Amino acid sequence: MKITKLGEFEELVLLTVIVLKEEAYGVAIKKELEDRLNSTLSVGSIQSALKRMEEKGLLKSEFGEATNRRGGKRKRIYEATPYAFKVISELKEIRVSLWDAIASFKPGFNMG
Amino acid sequence: MKDSSSIDHHPPRWPIKVLKLLLKNEYLEEIEGDLEEVFQDNVELHSPAKARRRYIWDSVKLIRPSLIKNLSVHSYSSVGMFKNNLKVSFRILKRNKAYTFINVLGMSVGLAIAMLIMLYAQFELSYEDYNPQSSRMVRVTLDYLSGETVIHQDCETYPPLGPLMKAEFSEVEEFTRAYHNDEKTIQIDDQFFRESNIYGVDPAFFTLFNYPFIKGNQKGVFTKAYETVLTRSQAYKYFGKIDVVGESLKMAGVETPFKIVGVIEDCPPNTHLKFNMLISYPTMNVQFRDAEDNWNGNNTYTYLLLNDKANLANFGLSMQAFTKRLIDDEKVRDENVVSQPVKDIHLYSNKSFEPEKNGDATSVYFLLGVALLVIIIAIVNYINLSTSRSLDRAKEVGIRKVLGTSMFQLRTQFLTESILINLFAGVLSLILMLATFSEFKNMAGLPMDFHFFANSTFWLVLVSIIILNSLLSGVFPAFILSSFKPVSILKGRFSHSAKGTFMRKSLVIFQFAITIFLLIQTLTAEEQLRYMREKDLGLNIERTIVVASPHDRDLVKKNHQTYKNELEKFAQFTSVATSSCVPGLPAHDMGTTTSVRLAGAKENSFNYYILHMDAGFIPTMEIEVLAGRNFIENAERDDEVILNEETVRLWEIANPEEVIDKQIKFWGKELTIVGVIKNFHQASAKSAYLPMIFLPENSGLAYTSIKTTAGDVKANLALIEEVYNKNYPNSPFEYFFLDQEYDKQFRADEQFQQVFGTLTGFAILIACLGLFGLVSFTIAKRAKEIGVRKVLGAEVWQIILLLSKDFVSLVLFSMIIAIPLTFFIINNWLERYAFRIDLNVWLFAIPALAVLFVAAITVVIETWKISRANPIKSLRSE
Repeated sequence: MKITKLGEFEELVLLTVIVLKEEAYGVAIKKELEDRLNSTLSVGSIQSALKRMEEKGLLKSEFGEATNRRGGKRKRIYEATPYAFKVISELKEIRVSLWDAIASFKPGFNMG
Repeated sequence: MKDSSSIDHHPPRWPIKVLKLLLKNEYLEEIEGDLEEVFQDNVELHSPAKARRRYIWDSVKLIRPSLIKNLSVHSYSSVGMFKNNLKVSFRILKRNKAYTFINVLGMSVGLAIAMLIMLYAQFELSYEDYNPQSSRMVRVTLDYLSGETVIHQDCETYPPLGPLMKAEFSEVEEFTRAYHNDEKTIQIDDQFFRESNIYGVDPAFFTLFNYPFIKGNQKGVFTKAYETVLTRSQAYKYFGKIDVVGESLKMAGVETPFKIVGVIEDCPPNTHLKFNMLISYPTMNVQFRDAEDNWNGNNTYTYLLLNDKANLANFGLSMQAFTKRLIDDEKVRDENVVSQPVKDIHLYSNKSFEPEKNGDATSVYFLLGVALLVIIIAIVNYINLSTSRSLDRAKEVGIRKVLGTSMFQLRTQFLTESILINLFAGVLSLILMLATFSEFKNMAGLPMDFHFFANSTFWLVLVSIIILNSLLSGVFPAFILSSFKPVSILKGRFSHSAKGTFMRKSLVIFQFAITIFLLIQTLTAEEQLRYMREKDLGLNIERTIVVASPHDRDLVKKNHQTYKNELEKFAQFTSVATSSCVPGLPAHDMGTTTSVRLAGAKENSFNYYILHMDAGFIPTMEIEVLAGRNFIENAERDDEVILNEETVRLWEIANPEEVIDKQIKFWGKELTIVGVIKNFHQASAKSAYLPMIFLPENSGLAYTSIKTTAGDVKANLALIEEVYNKNYPNSPFEYFFLDQEYDKQFRADEQFQQVFGTLTGFAILIACLGLFGLVSFTIAKRAKEIGVRKVLGAEVWQIILLLSKDFVSLVLFSMIIAIPLTFFIINNWLERYAFRIDLNVWLFAIPALAVLFVAAITVVIETWKISRANPIKSLRSE
């Protein structure tokens, strides 16, 4: 099984994109993550994560509507590719198996 | 989402403009929209101001590798391209060893000089920086007035001023006085030390000048008389340890011992007020007759700490009103009380009775300017050499262009070369600095423990200069060389562009103009210094040994006459004199007064210097008596006075004979003028003659001057010491040679001269290096022409003449520019000296001819080689 390099923050952004569905554009992703992480994020950090993942083929995007609030600029709506779904579910499986392994050793885990 | 809500606030425009330059175009619309939306959210959530700050901060954070444009069109190879640039640069620098050598050497010498000067300037500008309070501190000083004009400025003030100002001004938080004591003898058990720089200070001194106690408790000290605080090194000197609180020491002539109440660190080298020992101010009142309400003698420095709100300019204004009140109360007369920021003292203050010889802002900025010129000369060298080599590189540029290199890549290539050269130069300059640093510290008078390793400004400036140099020296070649048209180069129809040649020529002219200026300035300064040294002082200071008298006044009064008589018995001591001060010592050691009136003359308030002397002083110093007579030996008359020429001149009396036997009013006494003596330079010829009043005194004063015949100096000194010890037991014997002491006044000028001379030398060296490089490259280009000329029968000298003509005319042209400018600057510079040389033709001609000569030699040596070569060598290949 080949592991695609996916940073922790990138993974969070990717999951948020999936959660937000049609509403997944820069500012919405930022707000959602800020709420969940309970900290302030910069536009730059979100944007660079999105662009990197798009280059890796994990995301695809297209222009959405333009609003007044955006100074008449269009949104770019992101969507996870099937490849992305494959990558994150693989990652999840690995994690689950690792946690299971920890659980089965639980007595030894207790450091007293 | 409230899309339709009215939008009242706008983010700043400039971040987007910058981002447009930096970010990939395809991302722009989306990012701009995101930023705008976040901004609007923030306006509602927080405030417009905060939203703006966030907006800017977010914009800055957008500048990251994944979002910005690729600088090169062929983005995938940008690292590879850089590697290639570097490789080619190294090859080119290696191939042209002479060229690389000249550039690196010129640049590193220029850098080293500029950095050393910067360190010096930084030190001079750092005075009082050790003290965080200093920006709120002022020193109060006195201006003496004659009518409306200030005729004299004095740093020392009356003792009641400090307390009075603290009481009257709400903005004065605290004050301290510092009374400069004469040299004292300190006794620890049976050891005796002569100490100068002892100040009597108020308790607030330690806080104001930031000297926390390292031993002892600061609280409550210095409110009583006979308390003292030592510096760390002084404590070591006396007791061999610093834990000396509670010990005591004795001062010669003072009955009560001093109690040591604290130890503080030594004074930093960059403060104007340096001391060895502090004693409590009440001691001055009790012991040294400086009464708290004394409005007659101004012998103390007064410093004020202003509160944060006080504005220095406003404070100056309120001092005018204060002075007026003092005049109304008849405390002062014809005087202005003024304040000056403590931070300005070292570089801008030159009043009488300064605690130490101050620096001079003009010299500091002058040297900085020259250091900048040296750097410019080095950069000009680089530009000239690399553009004149353009023919060498033209084919390379042509081929590269044909193969599809972009302008950008070509320019980075040339920039890489200049960065490499500057980096080498930076490393070499560090080595040069390390090698010459202790020498430089000596020359510039920097403290010996001064270093630059931990000096962050130093590294910052060094790195910025290297970067700036790389850009400045790299941009010209990069743009000129990369703009060649490949077709014309490769067809061989390429020649120097007229524009490039013109630029090169103007740069050479500029370089040599600077060099000529520096040389003339050096020569003039040298001449001025020699003039001041050799000027007739109006007295003879040679072969004169001056012995300081013990500090015990009573002892001196009792034994001086026998001491003098015993000295005079020796044939090798031709005359012996005693006086309160000797020529060449700081004006500190003389008293001053404004209260002198010629009977019947109108009121004036010049500041007269008072020198007490016996009848031996005039013959010992060989001063000419213009009118009247000297004091009579052992006459014990205290109603006589002698004046100098300058005093008589200030009274607007043309003939000194006129004042003889007239009366003057002086300190409430009537004195008869018995003589007028010729002006002599009490201080060096830098300053004008002082108006002086000489009072008779036989009982032994601060100094005894002994004129000796030429003979064994050591034996003479031993004799004097023997007589001294016999008459003044328990007092350290201290002496100096008057001519050496007098010469110390020129130290600052000498230092400046040395630094400046060295700078000039290097500037010439760098400029000649540049000329040398330029000549050799230009001549190499004309090898074929020279070959043809030789075949057709030209003589060697004709060819030399032909080739040198161009360069020599450049130097001639730079003279025409430099000389008038220099004349102007030097005239200004000389004005700081009261007695100065007349500028003459030679001061300008010699440096100009010297530069012409050096340039001609450089050119001739280079042309000589090529014009001697066998023409076959240059002509056989095509």
